[in-house]
Amino acid sequence: MTTMIHVENVAKTFTLHNQGGVRLPVFDAVNFSVAAGEALVLAGASGAGKSSLLRILYGNYRPTSGHIHITHAGRAIDIVAAVPRTVLDIRRRTLGFVSQFLRVIPRVSALDIVRDPVLARGMSPEQATARAQAMLARLNLPERLWNLAPATFSGGEQQRVNIARSFVDPSPIMLIDEPTASLDATNRDVVVELIAEARQNGAAIVGIFHDEAVRSQVATRYLDITDFRKAA
Amino acid sequence: MTVHVSPPDAALDPAPLLSIARVSRFYGERIGCADVSFELWPGEVLGIVGESGSGKSTLLRCLAGIDRPDAGEVLFRGSGQPLDIYSVAEQERRRLMRTAWGIVHQNPRDGLRMDVSAGGNVGERLMDRGDRHYGQIRERALDWLARVEIAGERMDDRPRQFSGGMQQRLQIARVLVSEPKLVFMDEPTGGLDVSVQARLLDLLRVLVRDLGLAAIIVTHDLAVARLLTDRLMVMKDGHVVEQGLTDQVLDDPHHAYTQLLTSAVLSV
Repeated sequence: MTTMIHVENVAKTFTLHNQGGVRLPVFDAVNFSVAAGEALVLAGASGAGKSSLLRILYGNYRPTSGHIHITHAGRAIDIVAAVPRTVLDIRRRTLGFVSQFLRVIPRVSALDIVRDPVLARGMSPEQATARAQAMLARLNLPERLWNLAPATFSGGEQQRVNIARSFVDPSPIMLIDEPTASLDATNRDVVVELIAEARQNGAAIVGIFHDEAVRSQVATRYLDITDFRKAA
Repeated sequence: MTVHVSPPDAALDPAPLLSIARVSRFYGERIGCADVSFELWPGEVLGIVGESGSGKSTLLRCLAGIDRPDAGEVLFRGSGQPLDIYSVAEQERRRLMRTAWGIVHQNPRDGLRMDVSAGGNVGERLMDRGDRHYGQIRERALDWLARVEIAGERMDDRPRQFSGGMQQRLQIARVLVSEPKLVFMDEPTGGLDVSVQARLLDLLRVLVRDLGLAAIIVTHDLAVARLLTDRLMVMKDGHVVEQGLTDQVLDDPHHAYTQLLTSAVLSV
């Protein structure tokens, strides 16, 4: 199977310059790979660095050392060393990040938020709209909300808009941080289905799930971050 | 995680639009900006952040052709060979400033002609680049007023009859109507009410994406930088202390000064 992510000797230490230069080591010598069609679930207690690792894979946090090779358009590219426009291109076409929080933009409707990534990939506005509407419906977001800006939505509604945006056209690699945190059982099941579908269609998945039931439904493999923490 | 504003093929462009090498400007003994180098690619949006006096506006003025730097090079690649914008005659540089790139000033009064109608402010730029057909100029001006959400019936009003937010939108129409590849913006939302800012920000976000514009935006507002920019440069005392992808710099700042800036705001 195609390796989509290859993590090589990644270490992360935060240095807080304005708090006496205190150094917070998170982990050291992280090595693993994820193939297409796999779902790797990160395990370890709260504070072990699971979210930090996920953000490093996305190119959001910068590791203190090490390499992360992302298979992008058939080539392995080290996202740590890549220039900003390459990182953005990797994110646009290959690497998706699903967080539990929606970054609300004033005046932008839920439908536009969901349509945006498929438009950026070059789909026609009509097709993109149809796909976005289908995804919002699948996540049970009431139709009367579709053309409103989500600033006033509940936490769970905002979260579903965010998930719809991420799964409207799943990326070859999906990084998922607690997608079901404030969802009811019905919508939680939809999210589990969406993740399973993306994986069966060949996506490589790395995720953090606190809900034990969700975790066991999604995972094909586990990685305990605590093992890397001891070394740091 | 954030909404990206670059066009799909940004990474395929063969050459940078702007290449800056070791640009410095001094005010007597005092440093305006020192030894700044970077490249800007087509469709990229770069933010320059820092407190007042950090040199970000000085740098912008050097890059935009307004103030000649004391040292360094500003190379602009329009359609042909790269051109050192300070090696050409003043008149040629003025022409480039009106046609090849655009400047959105913080104060709309600095970018608009206050005694000329809204339609005239927009149409004038088309005449600058050689358009002569009055009907077409008027039609394009109307189209651009609509894109920045100014009603067509205000076309013959003068900017001084407009609110601050409308003046700023008019300035943006005047800059973008000539289809520049590159736009410089100095605190484009500064001095506006928060609700007016939100509307302007959304407008800028959509225009930059739809037109595939490259832009350099100076702001002290990290939320504005987060919304509009792909890359960020952090300036302090005239020097660039940190740069990178916008979300990297804001979420995992490495330099002490950037950590101070990002921790000083409530939430970006």
